[in-house]
Amino acid sequence: MKHKLYIIAALFSLALSVNAQENAWEKWGPTKGLESGGFIARAGYVIGGTTPLPLPAEVRKINAFSPKGGISVGIDGYRMFTKRWGVSMGAHFFWEGFHTAADVKNYYVWLEQEDEITKGYFTGTNVTNTEMWGVTIPVLATLRMSPRWNFSFGPYLSYYFKQTFTGEVFDNDDGIGYLREDKPTGAKILMSRENPTPYPDDFADHMLPMNLGLEIDFDWKAMKHLNVFGLLDWGLTDIWDRDFEAITFRMYPIYATIGVAYRY
Amino acid sequence: MNKIILRLLVPCSLLLASCIAAELDNTECDIEAVSLHFDSPSDIFYHDYDSMQTILSSESEIVFIVRSYANIQSIPVTLRVTEGASIFIKTSNGTEAPFQNGSLVDFSDNQVHQFHIVSQDKAWSRNYTISVVNDKPSEGNLFIDFESYHLDASGKYYIWDAPDAFTDGEWKNGNPGFKISKSSAKPMDYPSTPVAGGGPDGSACLKLETCDTGPFGRLAGMRIASGSMFNGIFDVGNALLDALKATQFGTPFIHKPVMLRAWLRFEQGGSFQDREGNVVEGVVDEPDAYIVFYRNEDQNGGKIQVDGSDVMTNPNIVGLGRLPHRLKADGSDLLSNSPIHGLTNEWQEVVIPVVYKAEVDPDILANKGYSLVISFASSWQGAYFQGAIGNKLFIDNVQLICE
Repeated sequence: MKHKLYIIAALFSLALSVNAQENAWEKWGPTKGLESGGFIARAGYVIGGTTPLPLPAEVRKINAFSPKGGISVGIDGYRMFTKRWGVSMGAHFFWEGFHTAADVKNYYVWLEQEDEITKGYFTGTNVTNTEMWGVTIPVLATLRMSPRWNFSFGPYLSYYFKQTFTGEVFDNDDGIGYLREDKPTGAKILMSRENPTPYPDDFADHMLPMNLGLEIDFDWKAMKHLNVFGLLDWGLTDIWDRDFEAITFRMYPIYATIGVAYRY
Repeated sequence: MNKIILRLLVPCSLLLASCIAAELDNTECDIEAVSLHFDSPSDIFYHDYDSMQTILSSESEIVFIVRSYANIQSIPVTLRVTEGASIFIKTSNGTEAPFQNGSLVDFSDNQVHQFHIVSQDKAWSRNYTISVVNDKPSEGNLFIDFESYHLDASGKYYIWDAPDAFTDGEWKNGNPGFKISKSSAKPMDYPSTPVAGGGPDGSACLKLETCDTGPFGRLAGMRIASGSMFNGIFDVGNALLDALKATQFGTPFIHKPVMLRAWLRFEQGGSFQDREGNVVEGVVDEPDAYIVFYRNEDQNGGKIQVDGSDVMTNPNIVGLGRLPHRLKADGSDLLSNSPIHGLTNEWQEVVIPVVYKAEVDPDILANKGYSLVISFASSWQGAYFQGAIGNKLFIDNVQLICE
């Protein structure tokens, strides 16, 4: 008899907990039901950089790094096909960029302005600043890992409305700053921070207007209609025009966004 | 949420920290300095400091000038080269042998030795020659007609041969610096150019023209380049860093100059602009020509070489002659709209006497203790990147007259 009671109690509690689980999926699920759609309006802080991968050996030390701008607002529409799987697509408008100062050694620079080209191998401090304004269109598959956690993954396409890329070279903290003109045996031209030599202002003209990459996104449902999210946009295509010879390596935008979202 | 940040931060920090690759070997292969070792350098050299030379990156022929009577045999030689670079010397049978610093090198019979410097990464190398040359008695009175000129090794700009008495036998000017700022320029677009048949006698003359340095020069805050011609050293390495220091005036000279005579013609250029490129109203640009004689060694035996910052003002200057200019009460240059240099569009022979403010010691003079500067410029404030684009100074048949 006692045994029977235990079994009934156990079965009852199991049924209850399953029921509670189902309730959690319902509770945190799409507003119109588990297999429906909705939208997520996002606002976030963007931090990251545009970098060669891996860093070339010419870069010896990164002395300064700071983000520039770093705002993203956007909206995603989503549709869940099953309790766990769905898709989403959106448009994220961003302003992102960074400033960095690195010690470089024997770093090939091509300073070009209108018809004038001065090129060579630079050793010293290289400062780079870039800012980009644009929109990213991600097309993602969504996996609902638990009632409150969503993970999305897929390609994105970014289109830039405006890009800037500036920089300058001067001596490093040890007072070393020089360009070897054309080749490492060329004339050694000293440069100092009192008279830094800037990149030409037309670098941005050689930046491609679009970038393709992969986005991963974690959404955590903090409140009924409020998400906290972190996403990473990892660029897979070079930001530079193929013909641009001033920078000898490919550079990729890699930016993360952390923010809050209204979920419906 | 913390998890999210962690997941994002871990790859980011890995990216930054782990990505500094192993340092590559040096690619440069310069001789930075050469010294010759003597027990008593004063018996061999005019100045003790002459036994050591720092070598500009643009130099590859290294010449030590010793007293005319010095008997040179084998001398220990020490080179300072780029870190990691190896030194080889060409042997008499044409092969290369590793060179140990401090080894003896036989410089007798005016032998010129070839050194081959190979970079640490073995991918680059440079050839140098080192020789030791007995000083020859030099003519005091010089006649300079700028007839002997040729393109430099890169084929970009002209070089003029100078009297033997001057360093490495070449006139110096800002052309190598202009090449950095305006690499697209053709040889005749440079600030210092020859004009075949342009002289008063129908032979070639020299033209100095103040030029726009182009967009790169604007970026570097050096909008104009004055045409220039002088004896001494042009350190192209300093052209962007400290342009005044790039023009190092004068070479040791054993005669006392009395005057400079030169055929000059001047064409006025556009409006006078300051370093920022703003037009300065009420100022007319002027050409310049001067001769300076100065003591080239300080009390401690250190070398004195005047440069763009003190060629008129160095306290070691003993004699000075210059094309007339208006000056302020303190003796510095006065910009004005009424120049008194007297040059016109027509050729004329100008006489610039040297005015001495200190005695010239004959013993020091005979031991090359004074240096002579002969210098011309199309813009007298060109060292400060101020002047009028298009100013042209034509020069021919320059005579130096000595005591």
